[in-house]
Amino acid sequence: MNRILIPVALATFVGGLMVLAFSQRPWAPRQDVQQPIPFSHRIHAGVNKIPCQYCHEYARRSQTSGVPPVQRCVGCHGDALFGGLKPVTRPWTDHSQPPFEIRWNRVYTLPDFVRFTHQPHIWAGVACQECHGPVEEMDRIEPVHEINMGFCLDCHQKRGATQDCFVCHH
Amino acid sequence: MSEGLSRRSFLKIASAAGAAAAIPGCEPAGRQIIPYVVPDENMIPGVPSFYATTCTECGAGCGVVARVREGRVIKLEGNPKDPIGQGALCARGQASLQGLYNPDRLAHPFVRGDDGRLRRISWDVATRALIGRLSTAAKAGKDRVAYLARPQGPTLDKIAGLWLSAWNSSKAVFHEPLANSVARQAAQDCFGRGDAPVYHLDQAEALISFGADFIETWESPIELARQYAAFRTPKERRGKLTIGRAAYVGPRMNLTAAKCDDWVGVKPGHEAAIAMSVLYVLVRQGWISPNSGFDIATLKSFVDGYDPDAVSQQTGVPAETIVRLGQMFGQAEGAVALAGTEDKETHVAAYVLNAVTGNLGKTVAFLAGSPPSPLSPQADLDGLIAAMNQKQIEVLVIAGSNPIYAMSPAAKFNDALRQVPFVVWCGLVPDETADKAHLLLPIHHPLEAWRDSAPRAGVSGLGQPVMQPVFESRDLGDVILDSARAAGADSKTVPWQTMADAVNAGFQQLQKQLGDKNKPEDFFAQALRDGGVFADAKAADVKFNPAVFQNKPKPPGAGPDLALAVYPHIFLYDGRGADKPWLQEIPEPVDQIVWDSWAEIHPDTAKALGIAANEMIELQTDQGTVAVSALVSEHVRSGVIAMPLGQGHTSYGRYAKGRGANAFAVLAPGARSAAVKVHATGRKSALVSPLYSEDMMGRNIVEAMSIEDLARGVAPESETVPGPYEMYAPFKYPTHKWGMTIDVNACTGCSACVAACYAENNLAVIGKEGCADGRIMSWMRIERFTPPKEQADKAPLMYITPMLCQQCEHAPCEPVCPVFAAYHTEEGINGQNYNRCVGTRYCENNCPYKVRRFNWYKPEWPAPLHLQLNPDVTVRGAGVMEKCTFCIQRIVSVEIDAKTGDRKLRDSEIVPACAQACPTRAISFGDMNDQQSEMMRRRKDNQLRTYRVFNAEFNTLPAITYLREIYHEKGRA
Repeated sequence: MNRILIPVALATFVGGLMVLAFSQRPWAPRQDVQQPIPFSHRIHAGVNKIPCQYCHEYARRSQTSGVPPVQRCVGCHGDALFGGLKPVTRPWTDHSQPPFEIRWNRVYTLPDFVRFTHQPHIWAGVACQECHGPVEEMDRIEPVHEINMGFCLDCHQKRGATQDCFVCHH
Repeated sequence: MSEGLSRRSFLKIASAAGAAAAIPGCEPAGRQIIPYVVPDENMIPGVPSFYATTCTECGAGCGVVARVREGRVIKLEGNPKDPIGQGALCARGQASLQGLYNPDRLAHPFVRGDDGRLRRISWDVATRALIGRLSTAAKAGKDRVAYLARPQGPTLDKIAGLWLSAWNSSKAVFHEPLANSVARQAAQDCFGRGDAPVYHLDQAEALISFGADFIETWESPIELARQYAAFRTPKERRGKLTIGRAAYVGPRMNLTAAKCDDWVGVKPGHEAAIAMSVLYVLVRQGWISPNSGFDIATLKSFVDGYDPDAVSQQTGVPAETIVRLGQMFGQAEGAVALAGTEDKETHVAAYVLNAVTGNLGKTVAFLAGSPPSPLSPQADLDGLIAAMNQKQIEVLVIAGSNPIYAMSPAAKFNDALRQVPFVVWCGLVPDETADKAHLLLPIHHPLEAWRDSAPRAGVSGLGQPVMQPVFESRDLGDVILDSARAAGADSKTVPWQTMADAVNAGFQQLQKQLGDKNKPEDFFAQALRDGGVFADAKAADVKFNPAVFQNKPKPPGAGPDLALAVYPHIFLYDGRGADKPWLQEIPEPVDQIVWDSWAEIHPDTAKALGIAANEMIELQTDQGTVAVSALVSEHVRSGVIAMPLGQGHTSYGRYAKGRGANAFAVLAPGARSAAVKVHATGRKSALVSPLYSEDMMGRNIVEAMSIEDLARGVAPESETVPGPYEMYAPFKYPTHKWGMTIDVNACTGCSACVAACYAENNLAVIGKEGCADGRIMSWMRIERFTPPKEQADKAPLMYITPMLCQQCEHAPCEPVCPVFAAYHTEEGINGQNYNRCVGTRYCENNCPYKVRRFNWYKPEWPAPLHLQLNPDVTVRGAGVMEKCTFCIQRIVSVEIDAKTGDRKLRDSEIVPACAQACPTRAISFGDMNDQQSEMMRRRKDNQLRTYRVFNAEFNTLPAITYLREIYHEKGRA
């Protein structure tokens, strides 16, 4: 009897572990997110030292940091004739094509029961890199930290910020 | 402010710019982030924008501020700049959001084929069909086209008239089923002017309402409730602390009656006799103002035959009661009589009562420059129906009106409509009238459209689109203007291209009238920001026309043995609210019934007729029969059956269809009462109510004290605990400790707070079956109890209170939670962590206030209702407990704003949704650590009136302190 039961139990246990290990919680940061265009944060934030909030302009005012509108890209990468910078890819220097909407793929997602807001974090002087990692060294954005409650609370404890559940969970 | 809006693409906005973690709903958050191509300067994703506009749910015309997030409106609140609503908005006004996002709204134009089926067509095809029919009709002769609508603002109504004349017709009829047009007729007789007066109840000391339910639906409920609360606030009058005295005369104890000192139950139609009899008392006692200029002899002959004894015999109202009303009215400094019945005599008598006591221009005022009545005279409607019957109407356009549902069967509108070869219905949710129409056009909800309103002199409301349309609808004004141009109307006859132009032109004209020197653009932009232009209106000098005294009202007679009194439902009104799930689910405050209609019968009458509670009864009048469930209740006079309007729809969307019965079906045109015969069917049909008990069972859930005791400085005896008993170390609140003060005396039970809570906190609507199982999800409710008979002399007529989480210091819910989901926050709120909750429901069991709600079902918002959800509040799933949070999202957002602005929180800066919505400002919220906060001052200023619910029993130390209801002790005044 045990000869059957034990392997079955073991297989179930290992299977369960594997499911846990390989499954992704919908809010877990993903390493494999590919973007529709080969945009490089390294070139923009690193080499050219553009401040984060030049593009992610809502971070200090809103819950969301905001993804820059295409107009912001065109601001620099406009018409090559008028001194526009030439990007690696062509979309905005291709005269036959007007600026289009870009469907970025989300890297960081929080579950619905978390009410995170960027604004107070920016005002408290938390650098973007503290959560998002050294973005200025990444071509493609990959999460460095899993943004889970432990991660949040570590920092909140260190900085003496609120640890009241209700502030984020409501 | 709004010009840019029209260019935006709604879908882009809805998914805009990485609203990280802000996309609500049951689905996982969106995996894509689509930024704007060109950003909107006025919009920051994640931060709400506010647009001022005008409420169109009833004729009161309150101002509204729409909160818009990511391009969709998520909540409506009152506009503080508007002089009528002054920042408050009733439940119906707030629920107009669910009219906008209603899942049953007509999404595209439809045409009815020969087989009677609806076929989807494009707007081009629909417009061509309409114009083709219109030109055939216009060629055939004059007045072949007709327009039947409810008034929708002066500009749209004017455009409709111009459009009709372009199509060779003048048959525009503006109709409201429950218009108070008798008041205007009576004003015509008494004062020679056809407008309704405005009231200043707060200027009065005594008030008698003859069937005017001004807290629920009559005229301008928000404004009048606010005034009534001021009238009932204790204040010094002639060296004595008093509150206003009020009486309600009518067949049913509605909210207005419940908040008065006296409810004089009469049969419908007897109000006029009581009013005349009160006048008789005034005349006999000489309580006629010497300045009023009335000839006593004329008055004497006018009231002859109305002595209280005679009236008492006819109406069954004790003569002493009438004399008491007369004394109260005649001896007050400032009195007001209101009339809300269907007969003109009551209105005339009320005007006379106000006039003879010298209150014209004080408590009742006619304003100079009142806009003309938007309604057509009854003769126009009769003429239209006659023309339809004679096959003279070839195209009938019906907009915003539901005559098939809301007209008496005697009007035979149904038959007349069959004689019209082409009926065009323009509206939102297809109703009974749409079912008979040939062409169905989806038009914009007022929140998507340009509108204006002229509810009274001095108030010009401006309505602007607050978001892009949800469906493939068009502005009714634009449809009409396009059609008028197709008829060959040139720029002289119809000078505007769009409805927006027309509204703008109206405001330019207004600017000229006001002599405003600003640039027209600036004037209009300011009007857009303010939600209209509000100027002071002067009271007009009115003269009473003594010719009225020639037409003495006939004595009423005893009336039918059994009378039916039909009244508008506080939420569903004349039926237009029935498609909105919030309005169906919020219990009607007096009877506490949800999702149904009912017939109230006094226990004595029920016994005499052999009717049991919840039994289906058939009500038969000379117009027809309806079957409805019986509610045996003492809130109606014996010998009267009271029934609300609003239900009994055979169409009008999933929330309205097939519930209860339509009371219009048993009424004569214009009537709201009838002689009725009742047949008990023996079948049972249970009414659903979340109310468990009629009385408080000896507990002090709501407390009251008499004004006499308050004046003497004696607080009523109440059980007090020796002192808060602490088992553990007390909580410390270094920053804030949130608390609330609720003035029960000011609360009218109107349930605006409940609707606001539904909107703000994403409360699920559970339906009738769920409610029957006790699973209603409201975090906040209006509780009402009847005082026991033996205490009736020392109690208000009804105890009414808002009940919500008391945010106890010693919260019974907290220690029983096995997973620490219910816990005490740093700022004194009983928090509930949804993500931690495992659904044991121990907390709910241990809560003495019964204010915790368990999600038995996965909540559902059929698209596009989900667009209304507040992105700042988690949508709870099945198996989770939820409760009032004191609107923590509002607290947090203000706290963040203060922190980033490096400033301290200001008092009254944080306003929970319930407090914001309250018309009487009964609820105030603030920091209990700050003794100077408005909320704490309110407690201190009314020390004698404060009480905390169940504190004596359970030592819970609630953060909510109530202020006692104030009543007049009977027989001790």
